[in-house]
Amino acid sequence: MTGKIYNYYILFPNHNEGLRAHKALKTAGIKCTIAPTPREASTSCGISLLLAGDCLEQAQKIILARGITTLGIAKIEKKTNPGFKSC
Amino acid sequence: MADYRQMWTDLGMDLEKHDILCQVLPDAFGSVYLSQENRPEGMDYFNFVVAEIHGVRPSELIAHQQKGGKVFGTFCVYVPDEVIFAAGAIATGLCGGSQFWVPGGEKVLPANTCPLIKASVGARLDGTCPFFKIADMYIGETTCDGKKKAWEILNEHVPVHVMDLPQMKRAKDIKAWEDEIKILIQRVEEQCGTKITAASLAENIKLINGKRQALARLYNTRKNSPVPISGKDVLLITQIAFYDDPARFTEQVNALCDELDARIAKSEGVIPADAPRILITGTPMAIPNWKLHHVLESSGAAVVVEELCTGTRYFENPVDESKTTIDEQIKALAERYMKINCACFTPNTGRIDDILRLVKEYKVDGVVDCNLQFCGTYSTESYLVDRALKEAGIPVLHIETDYSDQDFEQLRTRVQAFLEMLEK
Repeated sequence: MTGKIYNYYILFPNHNEGLRAHKALKTAGIKCTIAPTPREASTSCGISLLLAGDCLEQAQKIILARGITTLGIAKIEKKTNPGFKSC
Repeated sequence: MADYRQMWTDLGMDLEKHDILCQVLPDAFGSVYLSQENRPEGMDYFNFVVAEIHGVRPSELIAHQQKGGKVFGTFCVYVPDEVIFAAGAIATGLCGGSQFWVPGGEKVLPANTCPLIKASVGARLDGTCPFFKIADMYIGETTCDGKKKAWEILNEHVPVHVMDLPQMKRAKDIKAWEDEIKILIQRVEEQCGTKITAASLAENIKLINGKRQALARLYNTRKNSPVPISGKDVLLITQIAFYDDPARFTEQVNALCDELDARIAKSEGVIPADAPRILITGTPMAIPNWKLHHVLESSGAAVVVEELCTGTRYFENPVDESKTTIDEQIKALAERYMKINCACFTPNTGRIDDILRLVKEYKVDGVVDCNLQFCGTYSTESYLVDRALKEAGIPVLHIETDYSDQDFEQLRTRVQAFLEMLEK
């Protein structure tokens, strides 16, 4: 047991595919959040979909069934105390 | 995760420098926004706007220009967007809310200039803001000395039309603002090659009033206890209002309000009902300046209303839609915009009246009067604001800050002491 919690970010080639996936997952009742893509996941900016691990398998099935294009999934450790960072 | 690098290159932006901002935005947004529990689902749209902030909307503005349309960059809530949209053009906010842009501004401005002005000028000169690069013209105004001088510098890069805002509110001043709106109409028409008609102005008065009504509806939900949405989320929405397509924005805010109404019906909130309810007053908070809200709400308070340009000053008082001639519409616009209470006016007792009214309407426990460093008008006016609040028996904390992280823990200590004092 490491005690670490991970977030999963689904990555997309463009925001249209991301919004299609968001709509499909919400319709299916899967909890997901639109998030800016973390730098650890990609050097490109733009949206990704943030999910908890327990929803991932079902989300992948729905995205596949809808023919939505993704650029993969990034597993990133959840920061338990992110503190404040301005930009 | 679209790749906008080609678009940014075509705009002449400094990609390497801009990438530093792209790198920190996800973490900053994550630490302030995505760390919240039980956020309304309707916030996903606004997350989307932030994630694509230098991508989607700039692409739309460029597409508009490719069809022959013009884009006007604006800095202030006194500039009547209705006029710009009535000419078939688009009004957009510009960059100015991040420490990232400040050093660029300090290359040409005195260090003791307010961070909003330094960041705006820096964003343009450093080539790190697509909105500054896209706009065909900037519309400035005379709300402070720093801005007046900044327009002269920016005008060397992009034409700046400056609206001369009166600094008093006598009948002749309202008439003078009416004349300034007429001059703006001429300038916008020349730039766009179109004629603003009573019909196009009426249509766009209605459009912008729709946005105001949606924001008023959103703010009204915060009068409930517990609040159905955090103050920082409402701040984000208000900041986005300056950039987004007005019709789409209005639709999204109203959809969110439907969700919030359902929460209110179930007494569902995001912050405990016994949390101290805070009003923030002072200088504007341009995106991505979320510092004060984060300090307050991560210390256990609920920010329930902002008497700010990124708050009630932006949407209160709709324009009278009953006018049918262009002269009557311009008069109605002048009357509406001159109801905004900015510290550049003397006297500015209307602002104090607004704060006292909002304290009652939103059942506020304490006020945080916050101004950006080197903002002479707001920092001076804080004496009168603080005195009026103390006379009314309302606890008040005055804060002066900038965009940097350096005073974050110091602010937290002061805010926590203030909140302890408010504990019921």
